[in-house]
Amino acid sequence: MRHLRSQRREWLTTLLLLLPGFAVFLGLFVYPFIITIVLSLRPEGQTTGWTLEYYTSFLASEHGRQVIVLTFFLAIATTLFSVLLSVPLALVLRRKLRGHRFFRAVPLIPLVVPGLIGALGLLLVFGSRGWFNLFIRDVLPFIHGPIAVNYTISGLTLFYVWLYFPYTLLTTLSTLEGLDPGIEEAAQVSGANPWKVLRHVVLPLIMPGILSGSVLTFMNAFGAFSIPLVAGGNYRPLSVDVYKQIQLFVPAHWSQACAIAVIMGVLQVVFLTFYMRVLRGRKVK
Amino acid sequence: MSEWMIELKGTTKRYGTLVANDHIDLQIPRGELLTLLGPSGCGKTTAMRCITGHQHPDEGQVLIDGQDVTDLPTHRRDLGMVFQNFALFPHMTVYDNVDFPLMIRTLPHDERRQRVTEALRLVRMDELGDRYPRQLSGGQQQRVGLARALVYRPRVLLLDEPLSNLDAKLREEMRFEIKELVTQLHMTAVYVTHDQGEALALSDRVAVMNVGRIQQIGTPRDIFERPNSLFVADFIGLSDFIEARVDAVEGNSTWVAVKGLRVRVETEERLRIGQEVTLFIRPNRVELLEKGAPAGENVLEARVQKLTYLGDNIDYRVVLPGDWEIRVQTNGQQYLPAGSSIKVRLPPKHCHVIAEQK
Amino acid sequence: MILTYTLLVCLSIFIFSPFVLIMIKSIGKDWFGKLWLPPTLTLDWYKWAINVARLPEVMKNTIIVTGLAVAMSTIVGIFSGWAFGRRHLPGKELLMSMILLPRMIPPITYALGIARIFYGLNLVNTHFGIALAHVTLCAPYAILVMSATFEGLDERMLEAASVCGANPLRTFFHVTLPQIMPGILSSMIFTFTTSYNEFTLTLMTYGADTLTLPIRTYLAVGEGYWEVTSAMSVIMVLPSLLILFLIQRQVKPEQLVGGFKGL
Repeated sequence: MRHLRSQRREWLTTLLLLLPGFAVFLGLFVYPFIITIVLSLRPEGQTTGWTLEYYTSFLASEHGRQVIVLTFFLAIATTLFSVLLSVPLALVLRRKLRGHRFFRAVPLIPLVVPGLIGALGLLLVFGSRGWFNLFIRDVLPFIHGPIAVNYTISGLTLFYVWLYFPYTLLTTLSTLEGLDPGIEEAAQVSGANPWKVLRHVVLPLIMPGILSGSVLTFMNAFGAFSIPLVAGGNYRPLSVDVYKQIQLFVPAHWSQACAIAVIMGVLQVVFLTFYMRVLRGRKVK
Repeated sequence: MSEWMIELKGTTKRYGTLVANDHIDLQIPRGELLTLLGPSGCGKTTAMRCITGHQHPDEGQVLIDGQDVTDLPTHRRDLGMVFQNFALFPHMTVYDNVDFPLMIRTLPHDERRQRVTEALRLVRMDELGDRYPRQLSGGQQQRVGLARALVYRPRVLLLDEPLSNLDAKLREEMRFEIKELVTQLHMTAVYVTHDQGEALALSDRVAVMNVGRIQQIGTPRDIFERPNSLFVADFIGLSDFIEARVDAVEGNSTWVAVKGLRVRVETEERLRIGQEVTLFIRPNRVELLEKGAPAGENVLEARVQKLTYLGDNIDYRVVLPGDWEIRVQTNGQQYLPAGSSIKVRLPPKHCHVIAEQK
Repeated sequence: MILTYTLLVCLSIFIFSPFVLIMIKSIGKDWFGKLWLPPTLTLDWYKWAINVARLPEVMKNTIIVTGLAVAMSTIVGIFSGWAFGRRHLPGKELLMSMILLPRMIPPITYALGIARIFYGLNLVNTHFGIALAHVTLCAPYAILVMSATFEGLDERMLEAASVCGANPLRTFFHVTLPQIMPGILSSMIFTFTTSYNEFTLTLMTYGADTLTLPIRTYLAVGEGYWEVTSAMSVIMVLPSLLILFLIQRQVKPEQLVGGFKGL
């Protein structure tokens, strides 16, 4: 009896402790999300009635399809380039070179600095009169400049990579450092040259790290908002398109904005679930 | 074909001010199993890593089969190695692990299959080829490690504390398994360990290392019976050390004075009269005699101070006249209670003199 | 070796050059045409930023909002972290990944809903409202860090303290608190960074009286004064870099990435 009562008391305190966390989760995430969904299904400006018009019109329109394709293109391209950049960098950063402390801190910078400022600085660097084009003019005159980077799709991808590759790099690096150095030594003694050690032993072993890091990069790139907002020019991924529905029109197109937001959320969740399944599948093996 | 399979010529390795290997000279003939034995930090691992090429010596040369490999990368040295923590490739099955060196060498498919099967059979793992390393016990993992190191018939097999991650009973068994395999395959092998029991049981020769140098090198019997320094005597087996002074020398016999007593010692070492030395004897070579036993050479009056029953044997602390204590181990049958007066005999051929004092 | 350093130096240039250019832009005058560096230096843009863009007020707003957000998230984090870390909860993994959802879904997807709710509650254009919006993103991180901290708390240490005769209060202050302090600090640092840099949710809930640094900088971009924008960016980015410098040695990078292990 006594035992039961104390058990019940313990349950009660646990629930009380969890209360603020769940209040935040329900009040600031679930409820707003439901409101967003409800708004997306209501005819603009009305409090009753249901319609799927905003979904169908967006998905059926040329514009809508373009926006979705662009968002996926940016996220996937960013993820790919991040992986290509991160693996060699992680291999280099792992070695305790002179100054490795400094070089290790460098990729942390984009993580703690607002994306907005990164975008501003990158616009300055890659502008037609920025250092990038001055460098081409003065050091590589055989390349016909100036090269347009800002407000192009490749430039935007570059900015995304700047901001989001650290996720992949850091996860890859920490997996790499978790490897038992003996395993590589064993491969070397067995007669594998550095390239074969990398291909047959190191890469397969750090693959889970690369993949889970690339999930983070993908997630962030998919949802990126401030960078395309200031540096996207005519390229508007889903997030910016949502905002433009509210900002450009008076009165604001709330229902349309909410519908796009919901589409974006659903796409993200579906893609992530799919990705996770692939990841899990690998792990089980 | 060189006379020596492995040769270290004055290899030196420093880490900052620490000298891990200090001008090591070592020759290992073909087909020998040599153990590098020593406490942690003695430089045995560094010496092995110089052989594998994972460390580049600051000075000196490493020769394998007469060829200078000092600047040759690891993967071109044709070595096999077994690791303390097994270092199996976790993402490959047992079969693929063993196949890895052959795959790297791009051998024909049939030969690979045949050799892997053979190697797995050799270590009695042929049934478990489909398993992943994490599904195996420690002993099984180490067998796979051994098969992986042997499958391509390297010139030299290196074993880096291969048994220290296994439990005591398995360690005993695998000692003999390794010894047998290496002998059967006529391999040259270098075995690194800090476990003296392992070293004595396995090796053709043992090199005892201390602070970056080889203190003594010889057969297990040499090392145990005729240690050349206090360090070696102390590191291997139990010892009684007694400070002494040389009293007289005559042929192979030397008399030393210990706290007013005289003990005859058989030694080949040339000693000066009056030299300060250490008399040393293994506790299980001391003979305990009844109180009434007749006087004789090296027979001393003594009293049992304390005894500890250890099962297989009994560990006595015996006090001798002049108030010095030695440790004596006898088999469990000879039981002498604490406080009883007895006599001890220090057999001259088991008494050794080392020309240094602590 | 040379290749290695080339790679690292290129990376550093790639990462640093935006900041260097912002820095130069903010103190340069008459920087037109194709020049590597501005011909004259000036502090005018900082004066503009302070006087015209009312930067002191903006900074005050930012500090209030961030302070509120950090405080609320830390409290939520400690409570939930205790429950997650010390109690056996059925379906803990699932609960945890649920709590992390706001960090996995683009904020813009629920920012609209938050904006609508806050309009109704008159929370838009208030410090508390913006801070509350930030908590959506900060709290999951605080909960994650605090759960790990409480999980790592050594039960035997607490038992040892009570065996030694310490009452629960003393145990808490002398044993528990010192052990969880690093966790609280790192939770505070990361929630600070999140809230200080937060853009999307702020954009949906700010008003004329509650401009924060990121919003002010964004608006300045729209106004087209790049020099003033740069000056503001420099002021804004300094605390972040300072924090990075301070935590760089203590924090493992994977913590910064925000362990999504529950996924």
